[in-house]
Amino acid sequence: MLVDFELIKRARKGDGAAFNELVLAYRKRILGTIARLISHPEDVEDVGQEVFLRLYFSLDQLRSAEVFEPWLYRLTANAAYDYLRKRRRRMEARMSDLSEQQVVLADAMAGEKVDRDEGERKRIRDAVDSLLGAVSEDDRVLLTLKEVEGLSLKELEKIYHVKENALKVRLFRARQRVLKAFHAAERQAARAGSSR
Amino acid sequence: MEQDNHRSYQPGSDDERLSRMFEAYRAVCPDPESSPNFMPQLWQKIEGRERVANVFGRIARNMVAAALALSMLLALAVSIERSRVAPLPSETYVEVLAEEHARRDLDYFEPVRIEPAADQH
Repeated sequence: MLVDFELIKRARKGDGAAFNELVLAYRKRILGTIARLISHPEDVEDVGQEVFLRLYFSLDQLRSAEVFEPWLYRLTANAAYDYLRKRRRRMEARMSDLSEQQVVLADAMAGEKVDRDEGERKRIRDAVDSLLGAVSEDDRVLLTLKEVEGLSLKELEKIYHVKENALKVRLFRARQRVLKAFHAAERQAARAGSSR
Repeated sequence: MEQDNHRSYQPGSDDERLSRMFEAYRAVCPDPESSPNFMPQLWQKIEGRERVANVFGRIARNMVAAALALSMLLALAVSIERSRVAPLPSETYVEVLAEEHARRDLDYFEPVRIEPAADQH
């Protein structure tokens, strides 16, 4: 916990200063999680503000201060999910298709190492973005929270309100789908490499 | 095509590669710094939404008050209308029926007067 329970209780009672402190304490962590969940830096702050806005109006529904962090992560996951869904709808409207994503991934995977630092970082970002872009928003959010954010199954259980075994099944299936996209991209990368 | 895909799939190594990729992703995507406008914008959004909620709350309160006033007016109108209606008769239904029946019976038993015909013989 980044803050003490007393602060959360004060914020729940409508103390604006306490809420301000709460946001300041969690802002960086939440923005980081959102950045990795949505991978569109230009929209990270907007989604972050939406998370804290939802937090402000739902604090009175929080059962106890002890469950504050899973609650905040749940709001974050929901806001990211809503954003990704809207974005996908916009993308579909613009006739964007999966093959374009796969080309990006193939390029990213087969690309030569131009610049050791930024080039490599960009390549990894693009590759993972494309992989996660090839699965549903649900899979993307769940996998990012588990694999990238490093949340434990116990923590995910509290966020999703789902039993550990059910979560394991969902994670396994999501991982399988990402692996499928991974293989497809690898094949494309191999084809692109051989044609060069 | 799909079968080939499964044949070339090596669970252990691919899983590990994917895990390493996710780890690398975490490393190359650090937590970003927020802009100085983050908090002011957030409070603006909160106040904006509260304002909207207040407007809706006020509308709802006004509608409840109007409905209450209307129902009171209706109740008043009904009570005035009731007071205007003539009082109910004190007789019972059976008594009224009996009285009515008696009057009708009289009609039937009225002696029939037969006038002698003027042009007989």
